[in-house]
Amino acid sequence: MMEEPTEVIARLSKRTQALDWLGLFARLALGGVLFAAGAIKIPTPYKAAAAMRAYELLPNSLASFFGYILPWFEVGLGLLLILGVATRLSGVVGALLMLLFIGAIASAWARGLSIDCGCFGGGGEIDPNETKYLQEIIRDIALAICGFYLYFRPHSRFALDNRGK
Amino acid sequence: MASKNNNRGPQRGGRNNQPDPITRWIVIGMVSLVVIIGAVFTIVSNKSSSNVALPPGASKEDGYGIVFNADKTPTINIWEDFQCPSCKRFEQTNGSKLYELIQQGKAKVVFNTLSFIGDESVVAGMGGGCAADQGKFLEYKKFLYDNQQEEHSGTWTKPYVISMAATLGLDETKFAACLNTDKYRKWLTNVADAGGKANINGTPTVVIDGTIIESDQQGINYYTPEGFNAQLVKYGIK
Repeated sequence: MMEEPTEVIARLSKRTQALDWLGLFARLALGGVLFAAGAIKIPTPYKAAAAMRAYELLPNSLASFFGYILPWFEVGLGLLLILGVATRLSGVVGALLMLLFIGAIASAWARGLSIDCGCFGGGGEIDPNETKYLQEIIRDIALAICGFYLYFRPHSRFALDNRGK
Repeated sequence: MASKNNNRGPQRGGRNNQPDPITRWIVIGMVSLVVIIGAVFTIVSNKSSSNVALPPGASKEDGYGIVFNADKTPTINIWEDFQCPSCKRFEQTNGSKLYELIQQGKAKVVFNTLSFIGDESVVAGMGGGCAADQGKFLEYKKFLYDNQQEEHSGTWTKPYVISMAATLGLDETKFAACLNTDKYRKWLTNVADAGGKANINGTPTVVIDGTIIESDQQGINYYTPEGFNAQLVKYGIK
């Protein structure tokens, strides 16, 4: 039986609504984690810098520098996502940041380092059997998916981006 | 599917629902401002500065640590945070050995006080400088480890540390004046900056003649007296 045009519109708008809610979820998941991760690290910048140096990927002073600024960047990006401002750009930047983290963690794992990712404070050398590389990578993959989803479908519920004139 | 949704974007329902550019730009501007100011503030406040009050015995060339036996070799640096439980373990295992090396003049020993666990580490660390003012850095350090509480327990407030110093026989008035004015706060920043440059990423970290000796790696374990002594022997200390 053919659908009436009104039914089609109703069905599509239901689907749109569901996707909007999904967008909100993606924003809050990625934005919330970024915001929390940054906010936890801001009071202890030395620790954040040390966690960055422990990856042994960058020259010492550059690693310290990024360790100092990364928490602030995470807080800013998290705020934009939570508020739903420039969702598409924030989403893709967040996703690329997650890919960067995945690469760094995987590289630490492959080089046989035993470090904590330092994602939520902490970081640095830990006991070899206390490493959690796989869990850290899986979590970051899930967050990267949230970011890419927002890139491809930035519209979501309760976003400042939606505000009409 | 993605591209289809993509084309619809915000203009669903055919309404003229343009995003509000002013609110968006205000929010983006404010967030960027907070990020930039915060990042610059963090970088600047963690940079070492040159005109800083140093406690007696502290030397810039030794990562601003407090130096004992400046003219002896080899040089042992101990990077520690008075609040860190592993540092307490290290102190209880090897503290007396280090004090013996100092007394017998068998090595140059440098204590670099890091303070990154939190505010209590800063209070305790500044107190180290104040104790050095009265020539009792080592006694103070040992006393702190002996009475160490859990991390972030909130115990080491300024009044509490001052009362600890008094118990140790330090001049309470002088110590309080030193601690309450944050005389050595910037000194700790300089130590931390030096630690970053020396690639010190955890505490305790032992460095002998510039080589970082990492415990639990390549069979090194300096949480036993034998394990620590084995490292000392490598550098000619018997």
